[in-house]
Amino acid sequence: MALALWEFLFKYPPLVFEKGRLVFSTPLPGWMIAVAIALAGLAAWSYLRRSRGLSPGDRAGLVTLRAALLALLVLLLLRPTLQVPVAVEQENYLGILVDDSRSMLVADDGSITRAEDLVAQLDAELLQALSERFRLRLFSFSGDAERVEEVGQLSFTGGQTRIGRAVEQARSELAGVPLAGLVVLTDGADQSEAELNAALLSARSGSLPIYTVGVGREQFQRDIELRRVSSPRGVLRGTSMMVDLVIAQNGFAGRTVPLIVEDEGRVVNTQDVEMPMDGTPATVRVHFTADDPGWRRFSFRVPLQEGELVAENNRRESLIEVREGAQKVLYFEGEPRFEVKFMRRAVTGDPELQLVVLQRTAENKFLRLDVDSPEELADGFPVTREELFGYRALIIGSVEASFFSRDQLQMIVDFVSERGGSVLFLGGRHSFAEGSYSGTLIEDLLPVELDPNPEPDYYREVKVEPTRAGETHAALQLSSDPDTSRARWSTLPELSTFNRLTRLKPGATALLTGSGPGVSDGQVVLAYQRYGRGLSLALPVQDSWIWQMHADVPLEDETHETFWKQIMRWLVNEVPDQLTLTASAEPAAINHSVDLQAELRDSAFQRINDAVVTASIETPSGISSELPLRWSNRQDGEYLASFMPVEGGVHQIRLRAERNGEEIAASTLALDAAEDDGEFFSAQMRAPLLRRIAEETGGQFYALSDIDRLAGDVQYSGSGITRVESYDLWDMPIIFLLIIGLIGAEWGFRRKRGLP
Amino acid sequence: MRPPLASNPAFVALALTVSTAAAAAAYSYAGAAASAEVAESAAPTQPTQFGPRSQRASSARPGERPSHNFYFTRAVYTSWGGGFGWGRWATDFPQADRWIVNVLGRLTGVDVSPLENPVRLDDPDLRRYPFLYALEVGDMALRDREIEGLRNYLLAGGFLVIDDFWGAYEWDNFEREFRKVLPEYEIVDLPLDHPIFSTFYQIEQIIQVPNVGQGIRGGPTHERGETGRIPRVRGIFDEDGRLMVIINWNTDLGDAWEWAEDPQYPLQYSTFAYQMAANFIVYAMTR
Repeated sequence: MALALWEFLFKYPPLVFEKGRLVFSTPLPGWMIAVAIALAGLAAWSYLRRSRGLSPGDRAGLVTLRAALLALLVLLLLRPTLQVPVAVEQENYLGILVDDSRSMLVADDGSITRAEDLVAQLDAELLQALSERFRLRLFSFSGDAERVEEVGQLSFTGGQTRIGRAVEQARSELAGVPLAGLVVLTDGADQSEAELNAALLSARSGSLPIYTVGVGREQFQRDIELRRVSSPRGVLRGTSMMVDLVIAQNGFAGRTVPLIVEDEGRVVNTQDVEMPMDGTPATVRVHFTADDPGWRRFSFRVPLQEGELVAENNRRESLIEVREGAQKVLYFEGEPRFEVKFMRRAVTGDPELQLVVLQRTAENKFLRLDVDSPEELADGFPVTREELFGYRALIIGSVEASFFSRDQLQMIVDFVSERGGSVLFLGGRHSFAEGSYSGTLIEDLLPVELDPNPEPDYYREVKVEPTRAGETHAALQLSSDPDTSRARWSTLPELSTFNRLTRLKPGATALLTGSGPGVSDGQVVLAYQRYGRGLSLALPVQDSWIWQMHADVPLEDETHETFWKQIMRWLVNEVPDQLTLTASAEPAAINHSVDLQAELRDSAFQRINDAVVTASIETPSGISSELPLRWSNRQDGEYLASFMPVEGGVHQIRLRAERNGEEIAASTLALDAAEDDGEFFSAQMRAPLLRRIAEETGGQFYALSDIDRLAGDVQYSGSGITRVESYDLWDMPIIFLLIIGLIGAEWGFRRKRGLP
Repeated sequence: MRPPLASNPAFVALALTVSTAAAAAAYSYAGAAASAEVAESAAPTQPTQFGPRSQRASSARPGERPSHNFYFTRAVYTSWGGGFGWGRWATDFPQADRWIVNVLGRLTGVDVSPLENPVRLDDPDLRRYPFLYALEVGDMALRDREIEGLRNYLLAGGFLVIDDFWGAYEWDNFEREFRKVLPEYEIVDLPLDHPIFSTFYQIEQIIQVPNVGQGIRGGPTHERGETGRIPRVRGIFDEDGRLMVIINWNTDLGDAWEWAEDPQYPLQYSTFAYQMAANFIVYAMTR
């Protein structure tokens, strides 16, 4: 409607004004224009003389109206003209790229699919109109662009939509011919941001406009989509996992839908989720326990609800490595205290944890507990990286900083930053500032700021409370039911601390805080920060065993055990091994190459470049193959290879690294390969993306319903072989209306003011 | 690394001598006032004042730390013919307690409260002290609340050392009483290769520690006839194999702690008794 009004008033479409250049092409000689201007000036002077008797306001009004009219007439005498480059008929090619992916089979309104709508529009008008001016080249694309002769060849079975890749391939195919532009008809369900950006940059530098046509609706009327699942890559067996999901929805506001979690098809949790208002995603946290070892496929799904448009986006899957076998944690305690006894008891029954204790029982006298051999820790706290880095986590109790040599302090820092281990600093009379850690290498590692002037004999009892971050942290869930967990925290007896710590380091997070008489605001009870590859925690209380022994705690209560098991599992959970393997796409798409990247370190966690690294890959049908990985040449310890799955299912990859014929490290990865369902996630038509593509390249964006304008607009692309056409502006209806308006305004003004 | 001094027998003897002298001085400083306080607290009408609250109140004393990692806690229990007052539980109290905390603070790295800490078995605050010492249990006659308190204490993770009772008669009484506390667990002999005998000092042999009179006089070291002749160390384990109770029968470690400074008292008994005590305490804090 607005466009029709524009074209009525201005005679030409807006694109002509946008692309055209304004010139004055008057046929009158210059002297005649000078005479005209002089005559206009004379008329104005005469007009001014005659209006001397008027009031200043009336005079100004009349002069303004008359001067505007005269100026407009002089402008018209100059014959304003738009010069627009227009594509020469049948001299230019136009590439038309049609999205052939499966997401085009979505029926946005429940009856006609995007594909059917698109084909109808193409067949009906667009191709006919475009072919009158251009030579058309039709491409279908999803992952790759392929030439097709007619619309009927489109199958709409493609996997990923990769607009950037398709644009590059079409340009490449049409290189050497005059190209007026590219028309891309798609729903915009593109999954390759970086690739697209590169293609747009290239098109812009080549002055190639891209016209985008959005197919489908920007918002589904009724749909539920599991938009994101944030699950850990690996966990210890028996770990209570907490996974965050984002569920997007429209049309189900206020409804409650079930969210089902399955471990290889076995339901491990079902949770009801209330849908928020339409268009607002729901963030959901689900708890479940990983009980079976190995690489496990966990699926998260909402059953298809009545009236939903897309079924495929109701389900997400994650492959998670459930590890078994004792993970070694070294607890070094500087003085005999009951924390050792009760911490050991808390985790003793956990087959996935091995708490090795080194306790100083007197000056230079150490007690070792649960060591694997007589040699382990025989000389006290480790003095070599190999010995210390053999543990996955370290707990340091009440031991003064001066106990450690400078090398040992540096090793503790490296244990976290380079080895990727976790360290937990416990409170005590010789911990933190009270242990003179200020100014040592450890101070930087701590997630808390040390008090430069610690108060002598500081001792407070603290009531422990989870912070907001703590309430939702997996390690601090005392029950699978969040409400029960919250209630349990509120009834736990007070602990005590010698360490006043109230300030966090930038980037650190407090999970537990303490309060009580004489306790400073924000007293930290549990805080952590990432430090290099690892994790650093502070737990500045010294008698968590009270949660086991206190008379208010029932004998059957498992709070103390749960707390320490979960804390230690958290400590060791993401600690990397010597050899790690990751894939560039998980899950991988069938028949698409996936990059395997390994990182190899020796037992001191120094990167190694001269090892022989080999992947043994077993496909789901049992076919085995060997794939060597080569050192990348760009980063120490990095080895690369590419692999293309040709069948769907889980591929078991065993990676081993050898040096001088001896295996030095091994690792496994389960890589799922599947037909890519990415198309069905965020499958609504993405107008902002398509609009950006058009704007960045000088093209235009159209909804499918406005497609009839496309043919007219493309001829002004300015690309390819063009000729300049001139369009007169003097006879635009808007000019005529303006002249009438100015004369009418003067008449009306005189009449209103009672002027002659 | 230097060899651990504390494991050297010569050092132990020296440390005991030095500790003994220091403890004697400390005792002469704190003894009278504290004894008066405890005696008053021990009156049957106000038994709960033995508990940690009274300990915490005493922490206001100048120079004392407000909290310690270890309190040598003595079990206050009911015995035949007497209530909580100065019953059998209070034998050698508080001298033995003070001696041991002074000496152990020096021998080990344990942060020990310098004061005695008697707590009734039915006091909920007993659960704040995971180490408990009881002696003269041959006349023990526990009330229901004490049975429940001690049972819960042990099952929650507390550790009990029993000392100074002799002969079959006292054993039978103790066993009968303790069956009420932990009826489902057996009392078994502890072999010398059990970790409790090597946690801090290496104990090679269980020797009989006589009462102070017999120790100074010399001669026989046993009491209560033939059945009191052989010293035994026994234990009670929970279903996870964790030692909850260690029972020193036919021996009197408490007297050896208490009289260690007496030049007439044989060093071998006090050395052994303190070594055993160090092991009990370090074991109780780690296992």
